[in-house]
Amino acid sequence: MQRSPLVWQIAFGVGLLVAWQACGATFGVAWISSPALVAKKLAGWLMDGAIYVHTMTTLVEMLAGLMLGLVLGVVCGLLLGMSRLVAMIIRPIVFAVYSVPLVSLAPLLLMIFGIDMLPKIVLVATVVFFLVLFNTMKGVEMVDPDMIDVLNVMGAEWHESFRKVLLPGCMVWILSGVKIALPYALVAATVGEMMAARRGLGLVLSESGQKFDVTAIYAVLLILTALGLLIAETGTRLEGSLLRWRRKSQ
Amino acid sequence: MSDSHPGAMISLRDAGKQFSSRGMTLRALEPLSLDVAPRELVAIVGPSGCGKSTILNLIAGLLCPSEGTVQYDGSEVTRPNVRVGYMTQKDTLLPWRNVRDNVGLALELKIRRTSRGAAASRIAEMIDLVGLKGFERHYPGELSGGMRKRAALARTLIYEPETLLMDEPFGALDAQLRLLMMDQLQRLTQARRITVVFVTHDLGEAIALADRVVIMSARPGRIRRIRDVPLPRPRDIFRLRFTAEFARLYEELWDELKDEVAKGTDN
Repeated sequence: MQRSPLVWQIAFGVGLLVAWQACGATFGVAWISSPALVAKKLAGWLMDGAIYVHTMTTLVEMLAGLMLGLVLGVVCGLLLGMSRLVAMIIRPIVFAVYSVPLVSLAPLLLMIFGIDMLPKIVLVATVVFFLVLFNTMKGVEMVDPDMIDVLNVMGAEWHESFRKVLLPGCMVWILSGVKIALPYALVAATVGEMMAARRGLGLVLSESGQKFDVTAIYAVLLILTALGLLIAETGTRLEGSLLRWRRKSQ
Repeated sequence: MSDSHPGAMISLRDAGKQFSSRGMTLRALEPLSLDVAPRELVAIVGPSGCGKSTILNLIAGLLCPSEGTVQYDGSEVTRPNVRVGYMTQKDTLLPWRNVRDNVGLALELKIRRTSRGAAASRIAEMIDLVGLKGFERHYPGELSGGMRKRAALARTLIYEPETLLMDEPFGALDAQLRLLMMDQLQRLTQARRITVVFVTHDLGEAIALADRVVIMSARPGRIRRIRDVPLPRPRDIFRLRFTAEFARLYEELWDELKDEVAKGTDN
């Protein structure tokens, strides 16, 4: 009898949970907690509703930062990609900044922008900006100049060949930049919150740590995992629908 | 020195091209002169790297000559020449647009703005003409090489350019399809009375289609020979090859070309 991999995946997951529960029961739940405790914690949070505010805060920071970083990254990437001279001057500076681990900017941003959502949005935007910037520049570089030539002979004005060739030509690269940026955006938002915040999953995480509430830490990690999966899946779907031609061309 | 033929559609006067990058100078085209009359079909044949494509790029206004002049319909070509249609060697279809939207591309531009309805019917007409009916919604990546060439031809012809420049238009096609396309091209250009300059490495193709064949020498390219092709039109592309006139012309021109091909492969 043929079993689908899904059956095995579920079996494996259940097995892990059982093992976790057993470990907790054997060695004590102080450090290990247990699936039952985590489930109870999550259920409690869902009932009293406080966790929604934290989750929404993290999500909003992430999405706002994502949009900001994406728009700036694409615009700057296009400009840099199209002007050889500017790119030559700017490139080493951009690389130098990029090689700094960007989350280490968090303390600085918190000092400048306070402890509410703004510094996290800026942090997420910074991380996303660089990833999208590099990919957009690469995209411009990869656009076939012959395509632009053909449009020019057809009589296209500058903005027409930009809109009809350059931008869609970069789209593959821009979208792959966004896809890479998605998990980093979640990391940046969470890390920012862990340092100083009034709301957000990162705050819950750091507070739980200070209170040695291991169960709460696991519960937050679970929520973050779910968010991460959701975001990655959305990204994949978005890419799939925007790049339908690509899938069909293979 | 204005010795260009009055009434020539395209006129190259000692036009040459060299590229320089990183202190190196590469000569792509020795200065050459060539006139193409309106509605004439000229084929340029030569070994690879002899600057055939450079000639087309000069006429299209995508390159400026390093010396000499290039004139189109009496005025000098200094920027992209929007009165010509250019089929490059690669098909350069936009991979993210389906066949229909690729073919209709030119009609979306401000310079050739067409109403939605008129554009739709012209697109349908062109797609039918090149035999791609039923593939309107296919993306270039889903098409065979031959179909892509035909889509590119439709995309170029849809705005009815008075001159057609083609760079190895049938290079990637198999022998049967090539004959079909050549036949199609002959009928189209006769019906629409357009001027054609096309580049090929296939001497048979050049003789079958052209009014005049230009034989180029190996790099750096210069004109070795220009030969009229006095075969009557319309020509039966499928049987032309078996006629005595064709064989004679082929032999005569091949004698010229073979030395250059040999030279071209030496380096």
